[in-house]
Amino acid sequence: MTRRQRVLWLSWFGALVVVGAAMLAVRGRLDKAHVALIFLLVVLGGSSAGGRVLGIALALGAFLGFNFFFLPPYLTFAIADPLDLLVLVTFLITSIVAAQLLYRATSTAEAATARAAEVDRLATLGAETLNLARPEDALRAILDVIRTTLGVVSCDVLVHGTGEGFVTVARSPAEVNGGEREAGAVRSKPSNSTEGGAVLGWPDTTDTTSAEGLVGWIFVHGRGAVELADGAIRIVDDPPVETARPDRSDEVRALWIPLAVRNETVGVLRVRTPGDLRLTLEQARFLDALAYYAALGVERRRLVADAERAEAERRVEALRSALLTAVSHDLRTPLTTIKAIAHEIADGGPKYGARVIEEESDRLDALVGDLLDLSRIQSGAIGPSAEVNTADDLIGAALRRADAILRGHAVEVDLSHDDLLTGRFDLTNALRALVNLLENAAKYSPPGSPITIRAGRRDDRLHISVLDRGPGVPVEERERIFEPFYRPAGTPPDVRGTGLGLSIARGLAVAQGGAVEFEPRAGGGSVFTLVLPGAADEVPDADDSDLSRRALPGTA
Amino acid sequence: MTVLVIDDEPQIRRAVRNALISGRLFSGNGDSPMVSTPTRSESERGVRVIEAVTGREGIDLAAAESPALVILDLGLPDMSGIDVCREIRRWSSAPIIVLSARHADTEKVALLDAGADDYLTKPFSTIELVARVRAQLRRAQTTAVPNDSIVTIDDLTVDLERRRVERGGTLVHLTPTEWLLLRTFVTHPRQTLTHRQLFRAVWGNASGDAQQYLRVYVGHLRRKIEADPVRPRFIQTEAGVGYRFEPAGTP
Repeated sequence: MTRRQRVLWLSWFGALVVVGAAMLAVRGRLDKAHVALIFLLVVLGGSSAGGRVLGIALALGAFLGFNFFFLPPYLTFAIADPLDLLVLVTFLITSIVAAQLLYRATSTAEAATARAAEVDRLATLGAETLNLARPEDALRAILDVIRTTLGVVSCDVLVHGTGEGFVTVARSPAEVNGGEREAGAVRSKPSNSTEGGAVLGWPDTTDTTSAEGLVGWIFVHGRGAVELADGAIRIVDDPPVETARPDRSDEVRALWIPLAVRNETVGVLRVRTPGDLRLTLEQARFLDALAYYAALGVERRRLVADAERAEAERRVEALRSALLTAVSHDLRTPLTTIKAIAHEIADGGPKYGARVIEEESDRLDALVGDLLDLSRIQSGAIGPSAEVNTADDLIGAALRRADAILRGHAVEVDLSHDDLLTGRFDLTNALRALVNLLENAAKYSPPGSPITIRAGRRDDRLHISVLDRGPGVPVEERERIFEPFYRPAGTPPDVRGTGLGLSIARGLAVAQGGAVEFEPRAGGGSVFTLVLPGAADEVPDADDSDLSRRALPGTA
Repeated sequence: MTVLVIDDEPQIRRAVRNALISGRLFSGNGDSPMVSTPTRSESERGVRVIEAVTGREGIDLAAAESPALVILDLGLPDMSGIDVCREIRRWSSAPIIVLSARHADTEKVALLDAGADDYLTKPFSTIELVARVRAQLRRAQTTAVPNDSIVTIDDLTVDLERRRVERGGTLVHLTPTEWLLLRTFVTHPRQTLTHRQLFRAVWGNASGDAQQYLRVYVGHLRRKIEADPVRPRFIQTEAGVGYRFEPAGTP
């Protein structure tokens, strides 16, 4: 009995005694019905304030007091007049029935309030499930609600992974290194238990090291399970309701609830607690409703993934058709030239045609290289590389490789730092990206105009910018220039290229955790910036002190 | 002098043969102190090109004819180029030039590590090929730089015995790692050294954290001996492969 209840009981019994004493003082002038009605008033007040038990206790107390003090012979429990007995019994029955009715009305009202709150919460949650940008966030929100309202320690949702086995898509509390992971050994092999219900030792499989066992069984059969304190698994249709069963004698440690949408199991909700998990029937129903929302969340996640896959396929398809156009046009044009000139030479034509064949072959070679790069990027064959490289190396190698095309431009290199700029990137791929930016600058800016390469470090990232004095890029074209096969309108026909350079540069940079960015240059022209992951904090100093033990005598 | 060409493509064999026979392999300039021009009689004897279509045949020919240089195409029908390279290198010190397809940096590195001396990516110009062959032949005929010699290239002087480096008459202070790097470069002129080969030369066989910073150490070294570290004159970057020391410098 809580302190508040004790106070309530004491005050209501106090009220009963006070009312009884007051009536006793004026007993001569009171009728029995007055006494009964006034006592009834106290009983009703007590039961509405303190509940059914207090009401009945007050009724009994009033019954005894009535009998003892107000029914002759006074101060005995004996009753002289049989009619008085009738009044007394009627009073008792009336008070008890009234207390009971009042209790029922109150508890119905309370249940209605609770249900309204629950509906509110579910509605909010439903809206969240549909509204949150990422389905994983919605799932996490649902799991958080389950955890906080039911007071369990952790819960998570398992779905089919891309390969074999199952992965956790959301968990609460969220882990620092959250995200998808193999569920791995979901649990150890439980011991058999024969206590009540259908008990399965380890359903359907002997493989207990992977998640195949219980989760797999639930996926196939669409039934849930509860895990008991001794590790035994009991298969049940409705785990929350099973937990709420009042006659349950065993301790439940975990619930495995199938998440079904349109009769198909899409996931498994796992709720765990260290002690016994005992739910009220309302909580069990609430958990069932939340499980349904979780099922919708899982379904939505799957739909989003499907949509993303479809979008990726659409883009691959678009690229493929662009590629076909390029292959049929850009590859066949130089081949046609080569074939024609080779034929002329074979027929005794002028020898200078051989020079054209060489040029066209170079063009073909460049295009094949571009197409290969593009397919490597698109297929994800370029991964991040863990090499520490210097900006000196990158810029120097790029200048050498782009030497021919940069001829006719004054190239200035501006290293903002005197110290060595470093980054963590793959030199070959970064070089290709930077060369493409240089070629782009040389191609689209007037002959003789200066081109500047500027390197610096910003926010721990290596920035290498190529600045030209070309025509710049109109605002509406600024993202399109990075699309494969894009070429600006009005490109003079003598500007030769595949339209792949910038797209490849960006693809190669992004694949290494970098970027290629465009911004207009003050005073006219463009700035293309190759951004690469930096390596400043991990590079040893020039003083080489870590190798001082190897210091060689006489070293200058 | 005999050059062995191992390639299954008849057109490429023909192109290489024509280039080697018509190209003047011994017209090299003699202004580098480390290069000795071959004697007149050697160049007058001319070039004999022998050809193999498969790797097996190539290895047999290399053993039978002891060629002065081997040109090896990677795309052989019977065995991998790297195995051919390794097999020949077991008993021959003849320079091996590899012809490889584009986008095979890792393969190139593996080949250089397996004992190849240089590589060309397809498509290549025959002028470039002849230049590389010439450089390799010159290098093969150059006796190793003795450890006690002083190497002077333009304004850079490297005293290998006293471990002193001067640039334009000024003493250059190098850290131990930088010195080991420079010594490796100077004693292997014109040779593409892979990152692994440089690791081994500088740090020995032990692997350590310092190795991943090889490029940083090269950067520091360049800043001390090169006038313009972005347009280096001595230490050239072979992207994705390693570095090459050019005693004659690049124009």
